[in-house]
Amino acid sequence: MDVIERFRSSRQRGRGLGTSGKKRLLRIFATTVMVVYTILTLFPFYALFVRSFVPTKESSDLHLWLPEVEEVSMERQIGNLAVFYDMDTADLKDAFGIPQTEFLGARMTLAELAEEYTIPEEDIKDYFAGFYRYNGWQTLLLGDLYGTTFWECLGRTLLVTVVSLVVLIVLSVFTGYGLAGLKRKDQMAVYNIYLLQMVIPAMLILLPQYQLFQWIFKLFPNYADKGLTRYALQLLAVVLINIKGTALSTMIFVSAISGIPRDLEDSAMVDGATRLQYVRHVLFPLLKVPIVSLIVIQMPLIYNQFLQPYVYLDPANSTLLPFIQSAVGQFSTNFQVIYAAIFSSVMPMLIVYLLFRRMFVEGVMAGAIKG
Amino acid sequence: MGSDAATPSGFLGTSVSAEAETGTTTLRRRRIVQDWLFMLPQLLIFVGLTIVPFFIAIPILFTDMSQFNDPQINWVGFRNFTVLFNNAGVRADYLPALKRTLVFVALNYTTVYIFGLSLALLMYEVGFRGGFFTVVYLPLMVSGLAVGYIAVMLFSRETGTANLLLMELGLIKKGINIYSPSGTMFLLPLLVGWRYAGYNMAIFLSGLLAIPKETIESAIVDGASYLQRLFRIYFPQMWPSFILATTMCLIGSFAVFDELVALGALYVNPEANLLSTLFFIYGFQVERLGQGMTLAVETFLPLVFVGVALQRLQKRLQY
Repeated sequence: MDVIERFRSSRQRGRGLGTSGKKRLLRIFATTVMVVYTILTLFPFYALFVRSFVPTKESSDLHLWLPEVEEVSMERQIGNLAVFYDMDTADLKDAFGIPQTEFLGARMTLAELAEEYTIPEEDIKDYFAGFYRYNGWQTLLLGDLYGTTFWECLGRTLLVTVVSLVVLIVLSVFTGYGLAGLKRKDQMAVYNIYLLQMVIPAMLILLPQYQLFQWIFKLFPNYADKGLTRYALQLLAVVLINIKGTALSTMIFVSAISGIPRDLEDSAMVDGATRLQYVRHVLFPLLKVPIVSLIVIQMPLIYNQFLQPYVYLDPANSTLLPFIQSAVGQFSTNFQVIYAAIFSSVMPMLIVYLLFRRMFVEGVMAGAIKG
Repeated sequence: MGSDAATPSGFLGTSVSAEAETGTTTLRRRRIVQDWLFMLPQLLIFVGLTIVPFFIAIPILFTDMSQFNDPQINWVGFRNFTVLFNNAGVRADYLPALKRTLVFVALNYTTVYIFGLSLALLMYEVGFRGGFFTVVYLPLMVSGLAVGYIAVMLFSRETGTANLLLMELGLIKKGINIYSPSGTMFLLPLLVGWRYAGYNMAIFLSGLLAIPKETIESAIVDGASYLQRLFRIYFPQMWPSFILATTMCLIGSFAVFDELVALGALYVNPEANLLSTLFFIYGFQVERLGQGMTLAVETFLPLVFVGVALQRLQKRLQY
């Protein structure tokens, strides 16, 4: 008896030690995985930021920190600076009082320029201070491309995102409200239609969808016609595609609205409210959680939309991502501009995400449980 | 009511029958009309932009339409459907793209488990960590285009930051070239998997959280090893998650486009040219619209059926 008791207690102690040791091991392992994964996930963005400051000619050296600011050598040729670093020669002429009609040869060095126009070398060095480090960002933020600028594209992206989200929410709540009142059989029929969205590949309907918009708006062949209406209709096409609703948006609101007691609506009706007023004043405030859930799932999709804007929008009427794509084509020899462009296209969404990260995490988990 | 109680989420479960019996018929009918009016705006847009294009596409499949404002369109019968089997030029475009797509689907499907499932299990065992979830989900905030270009920045042979770093550390001798066949083949699924890691993790995590705690505890008491627990307790109860992840991966893999554009599929890097970019090139770049759409239909129609079947299966298991 004594022996068994002792054996049992020792085994229990042993097992106890084992589990706590196992738990500690698990915790160490998990922490390691999380730290490594976090570093691997964040490093690319950091590297992108650093690389937007690294001159193309140094891009085959490893840079893990912002590069030292190097002075532009007086032996540099103007043509080289213009081609590889997108230096604006018109600006250069203005800065040193050289008439715009004057021709500067591509092979002319900065030293020759100083000599020819009797400019003090110091002035030229001042003009080019930080040029190698910042020319990518300067070109991106101050320049223009195909008749539009980075800022205009950012503005259009934000406009499309906000308008799409607002209309999508309103329409989806309407859909959910209408659907919640129907018989189960009709509900399933409508819901199955929305479910088709998930199985019909976007690529399959991209071409006929484009065809359809061309029939309705009659815009796309007339590239000569650059009216505001044309631009507005193109943006409208993109917004319409964004607000057409998905299985997820339908499901989120149907299940939320089904959970709201009918008494609430009946008492609103007794007080003389119309159904629209009920939706506006009672339903919307009650649906905060599913609305946030829909926003956090749809916002990145709409903000990061590339294919549809790329197909539907003129270059001069572009949103951010098609603009980035044209910048990559245009500045193919200037990595700094490309990386600055990509970094600045990524940042707005990341900042929103990090600011509202709790909402995102909760909304995504709620969406995953429903989905 | 009994059937309502059986539906766990209450989704689509509320019936109006109780109301209907008390209200008068006209009022009830008006209410139903109003219900349909509430649904109509979005339903019209949805049908107009998803179902109608499907039918617009059908006549185009039988023509030699080259682009969207083609002035002269001729009927060609079933030629567009048969070229895939008897035209060497089209086969030379299509078959490599099909092969690359299938390889990509397979590799991408493994990343669903490498990233999504294993991270979900990790987080389930150590408890939910909001901070780490934020990190894992973060790449989904970044466009596929940007992710692709970032990958090019990291893995260009001569100038890639990751290449230079790995060489500095002595881990590799020669830089990985993202534009080479094997470079594109392996890096593309990795970066798509990394981007969707948070999404897949959320799917699997919600499946894990739905497992009743008692079954796990009793398995532990019975002395089941972790692997036994995985295969006997966790996975059998997570089937809806597996099917959802599979459906999403299948649809997503065929729809992948932005990343391919960033890897140069439309111009410089034929290795990144999968079916989606091939259809795009046929439709918008080389003026073979009817042909491109037919190839898309031939490719995707089987996929639509598989998708529908998977969704049916999931619904049956869930409710």
